[in-house]
Amino acid sequence: MDAFYIILTATLIALSCGLLGCFLILRRMAMVGDAISHAVLPGIVIAFLVSGTRDSFWMMGGAALLGIFTTFLIEFFHKRARLQTDAAIGVTFTWLFALGIILISVFAGQVDLDQECVLYGEIAYVPLDLWITESGKVLGPRALYIAGLVLLINISFVYVGYKELLLTTFDPTFAASIGISISLWNYLLMGAVSMTTVASFESVGAILVVALLVAPPATAYLLTDRFPALLAATAALAVAISAGGYYLAAWLDGSIAGAIVTVAGVLFGLAFLFAPRHGLLTRRWRQRRQRQALAEAAAGYRE
Amino acid sequence: MGGAFGEFSGLIPNGRSAGEASQGNGLDNGQPNTMRIAAFLLLLLVFLLGCEGGPADDKADRKLRVVATTGMIADLARHIGGDSVEVLALMGPGVDPHLYKATQGDLGRLRAADIVLYNGLHLEGKMGEVLEKLEQIKTVVPVSRGIGVDRLIDHPEYEGTYDPHIWFDVQLWAEALDEVLATLIEADPANRSYFERNAEAYRRELAELHKWVRQEIKKIPPERRILITAHDAFSYFGRAYDIEVRGLQGISTVSEFGLKDRVDLIDFIAGRGIKAVFVETSVSQKNIRAIVEGCRQKGHEVRIGGSLYSDAMGEAGGPAGEYTGMVRSNVNTIVNALN
Repeated sequence: MDAFYIILTATLIALSCGLLGCFLILRRMAMVGDAISHAVLPGIVIAFLVSGTRDSFWMMGGAALLGIFTTFLIEFFHKRARLQTDAAIGVTFTWLFALGIILISVFAGQVDLDQECVLYGEIAYVPLDLWITESGKVLGPRALYIAGLVLLINISFVYVGYKELLLTTFDPTFAASIGISISLWNYLLMGAVSMTTVASFESVGAILVVALLVAPPATAYLLTDRFPALLAATAALAVAISAGGYYLAAWLDGSIAGAIVTVAGVLFGLAFLFAPRHGLLTRRWRQRRQRQALAEAAAGYRE
Repeated sequence: MGGAFGEFSGLIPNGRSAGEASQGNGLDNGQPNTMRIAAFLLLLLVFLLGCEGGPADDKADRKLRVVATTGMIADLARHIGGDSVEVLALMGPGVDPHLYKATQGDLGRLRAADIVLYNGLHLEGKMGEVLEKLEQIKTVVPVSRGIGVDRLIDHPEYEGTYDPHIWFDVQLWAEALDEVLATLIEADPANRSYFERNAEAYRRELAELHKWVRQEIKKIPPERRILITAHDAFSYFGRAYDIEVRGLQGISTVSEFGLKDRVDLIDFIAGRGIKAVFVETSVSQKNIRAIVEGCRQKGHEVRIGGSLYSDAMGEAGGPAGEYTGMVRSNVNTIVNALN
């Protein structure tokens, strides 16, 4: 049952992240998850200074606020300062992270306060962190409900705004010309990303979330040229990576998050080499076959 | 013409204009796929949530299983439980509890445990919160629970934020022993007298150790009794044994120390003529080495007095593999370097 809970939670989060990640990699904003994982630090410190506790509820609130603020700043610098998205992401999160460090060293140097120990959860403990009602009924792991809810919100969001998201991703000029607000959909997408990442950080930790936003969509991107197929392949990869990672961790008795990301990396490597159309080796084989066919044809012509 | 149009509009979902349809059609194809997978998974979840519950093994014919977070706590449990318990520490030697990463097997170990002991006071960070919740379904005890709030070192500004490194005051640690004893007795009342006998013996050992540490530290001349370490783990030690303590980093081993902190500390070391600073086994030595270098540039020679066991014990079987050995090793290192 524990294995099932962990794999299911990982899968739900991988699906959420993958769904958004497909849009992010096409918009060249894949590292926004990493940015948020760092930029939430001042939010945590401020939440602590305001509340005086290191309770998860406050920490998540502070982190969520900063997550949204981060994506807002990135978008703002990208549009107003005409910075490339990667530069906007880099400037924003390093600045916010630095702000958090300064806040800690000035106000809270004697308190054990950082994302690692107050916000980031551990996927191995998902089955232990149960949701128990007042009457003592055990309803299963809390993280599972959070991950399920987040996925539901994300699916609804993408379902409702599918056309707009796709058009603003692939052809912003055309989207604008038919009256779709590019910045509105950008902010909505970024809002979804920041909600997803912060909620998932709290359940399963940062490295896993950052990786799941990028690795499955990037792998799927090598496998297909059509967007719907990209989504489907990402979803399939999400399931495979979660289950594969869990069993790798079980076999090694290692970190589950680490193993899941390792599997994601290995699958990416396989796709890079063997993808049906874009794979390095498949392309080479195809070229060799073509050359052979050409040589045979030439030989046949000479005869 | 009308018929042809009718046929065409049938292909377009939701009556979109023909212009959008060429894109819209392609888009909608994949969506049901993802949706179907997601819906399937959610259904699976709902179905499987109903069948909770694993096999319960018989407690009677095996030893009591105790899982502790740190080696220090495991050592306590081992001394009190003796042969009638099986003790396991999740964090091995040299592991920084602030940064501990759980493995897949940890979950099984916690599940299989009859008793889970942890330090509390936020030493285990986020994991402490999980353990707190686990309390609802299992015997989970923070060993710091029995220690009065007035004896904990708290943060001057934030109420309820305490320094978790209680094991450096041997007397305080003896109170954690009472907590562990009570927990073990409750779990296995049949062995009550055995546990109490063990606890009494160990309590005497700790009292002796306390006296010994006191005497040893007194050998250092009062003006040289300054302990400078990589992070703020030794406040309880300083308070109990009358030695001034300065940490380079805050309690958290992640927080960076400020430039001014560094300059202040270097001035402090040079000004007081301190002979040695200390590194810790579970914290990076880089920063403390920078301080040594900074002092050298100011013309004051300070050396690294040795490596202290702070948040984790030494290798099992080695001299610092037990709590008492760890304290002795630390005290010897400090006295040798500062005297």
